[in-house]
Amino acid sequence: MNDCKGNILIVDDEKGLRLGTKRLLEEEGYIVAVAQNGSEGLQYGTTNDFDVAVIDLKMPDIDGMEVLQAIKQSHPNTVCFIATAFASYDTAIQATRIGAFGYIPKPFSPEELTYQIELGIKQRKLILDAQRLEQEREKNLLELANEKSRLNAIIKSINEGVIVINTNGALAYYNYSAIKLLGLSSLNIGENALSILPEQINEIVNKIFHSDKIMLKSFSTELSLNRQNEIFLEAACTPIPNPDGSLAGVVIILSNITEYKRIEIIKNQFVSMVAHELKTPIAAVQGFLNIIKDDSLNLSEEKKKDYLQRSSQRLKSLTDLVNDLLDISRLELKTKQKEIIDVNLCDIINSTLQMLELEIAKKELTIEKNEIEIIPLIKADFNEITRVVSNVLSNAIKYNKPNGKIFIDLNSSQNYVILKIKDTGIGMKDSERQKLFSEFYRAKNENTRGISGTGLGLSIVKRIVDSYYGIIEVDSEYGVGTTFTIKLPINPN
Amino acid sequence: MSLIAIIDDDPDIIDASSLVLKAKGHDVITANNPNDGYSIVKYKKPDLIILDVMMDEPDDGFYLAQKFRKEGITTPILMYTSVSKAIGLDFGKSEMVPVDDFVEKPISPEELINKVDALLNIKEVN
Repeated sequence: MNDCKGNILIVDDEKGLRLGTKRLLEEEGYIVAVAQNGSEGLQYGTTNDFDVAVIDLKMPDIDGMEVLQAIKQSHPNTVCFIATAFASYDTAIQATRIGAFGYIPKPFSPEELTYQIELGIKQRKLILDAQRLEQEREKNLLELANEKSRLNAIIKSINEGVIVINTNGALAYYNYSAIKLLGLSSLNIGENALSILPEQINEIVNKIFHSDKIMLKSFSTELSLNRQNEIFLEAACTPIPNPDGSLAGVVIILSNITEYKRIEIIKNQFVSMVAHELKTPIAAVQGFLNIIKDDSLNLSEEKKKDYLQRSSQRLKSLTDLVNDLLDISRLELKTKQKEIIDVNLCDIINSTLQMLELEIAKKELTIEKNEIEIIPLIKADFNEITRVVSNVLSNAIKYNKPNGKIFIDLNSSQNYVILKIKDTGIGMKDSERQKLFSEFYRAKNENTRGISGTGLGLSIVKRIVDSYYGIIEVDSEYGVGTTFTIKLPINPN
Repeated sequence: MSLIAIIDDDPDIIDASSLVLKAKGHDVITANNPNDGYSIVKYKKPDLIILDVMMDEPDDGFYLAQKFRKEGITTPILMYTSVSKAIGLDFGKSEMVPVDDFVEKPISPEELINKVDALLNIKEVN
């Protein structure tokens, strides 16, 4: 089978000719529709966009000319032929005037018909191509008209500041963001931009103006502007070339990088704190080993053993610290999937108390528990919730006074399970309480000396609670005690 | 024989340093925070102070050294540092830090003894 070469309509009241033509053209690869009289032809031709129509002139009901006229009116791109045995010059002229492409005199040979149809199909293609080109051209013209105002609107609405300077230093273009970022009250086209812009930007602009050849790359600088709050800007200056390659001006893009700077400072502080926390135990262990190695000190075996014991204690706390750091990184990156199961907070409290039995006994603490009979299960990761409970409970032990008390209250309200852990410990000052959840923050005073910890525990607890859309609150009175309240949603969704 | 004050919040460092100094025949007094450190220097008048730069706060050792100098205490100070250099602070070059020498942790007995002896000798010469 050939691919379809086109859609053809044959309108003829003579059955034999109609069907013969149909068969012939179908063999040539056309799709052919036939109409047996004028009104049928008119209906088909006006409701479908045929490539080519061959219309018999003389039909009993409606004249071929009328059919042609109707088709050309509704589908001007359908290429129409008039076919008739009564060929005359006049009808040919009349038919072309109405819109016929050609005239096929009857009787016609198969070769003659297919030749004419092929011409018609070619014509149809030309018409459609021309129409498509015309539509594209119109669209392009419309786009061109819109382009300028659209580009303008885009540049005006972006957050980055845009400033264009001519080679003579005159301001050629700016947007509102540029005014805002530079903290100016206004800018005026044509004024000397170099007298307004910060020195650091001027330096780069001048460098571009005075360089021998134009390099099509940008030069960036970071600058800080002190207004009510210090803001940091990045200014990227790029030369604009003329079509002939000479320098037309410079475009300056200003971006607000204050937030990046703030994060960079936090990161640097964190890194140096981590470095300090990691190095402290290493330095202690290395110091002990240096002493043990040194024969001139004549260390007793007992002392050596004591130092080794203390070294291994320090290494254990170093391992705890590294594990805590890994936990923080895991919670931040959310790399580990939570294993969500039904968690019974009551069970976790009991097993944690069991685990901490020794520490509780050492300080001779009393535990008082108050829980409602049926505590709702929460959907959470068992290990994470255990981490929260054990951390807060071990703080309540570590920072408690000897013979002190710990009150544990487990309750539920609406969608939350509420756990309160109250101790009768050393408490916190307000300033200490505010920094409680920061990394490496540990209240340091005469009461906390000798209490060990990584300084990361509560920071981890807060991250876990936050990850369940829970709430952790702390209430404390210096010298009296501290209460932690943890609210966890029963169903986090 | 000299009296040496060690002010550091790490009990293991205090212990190790004391042992080394005592082995060389020095007497040692210790404090594990800036306040106690200030008191022992003020009242026991040591011949040398070994001072950790970072205790309760990141640079409270440094402030304590300034306080001593402001109050006219000229006792030589040997400062223990840990990560200060690694994170870009070079106290050694700064005249703002009124100390006489630095020991980077971890301490080695030999280096500690050498630096302590050097500072005590200068003191004697003066």
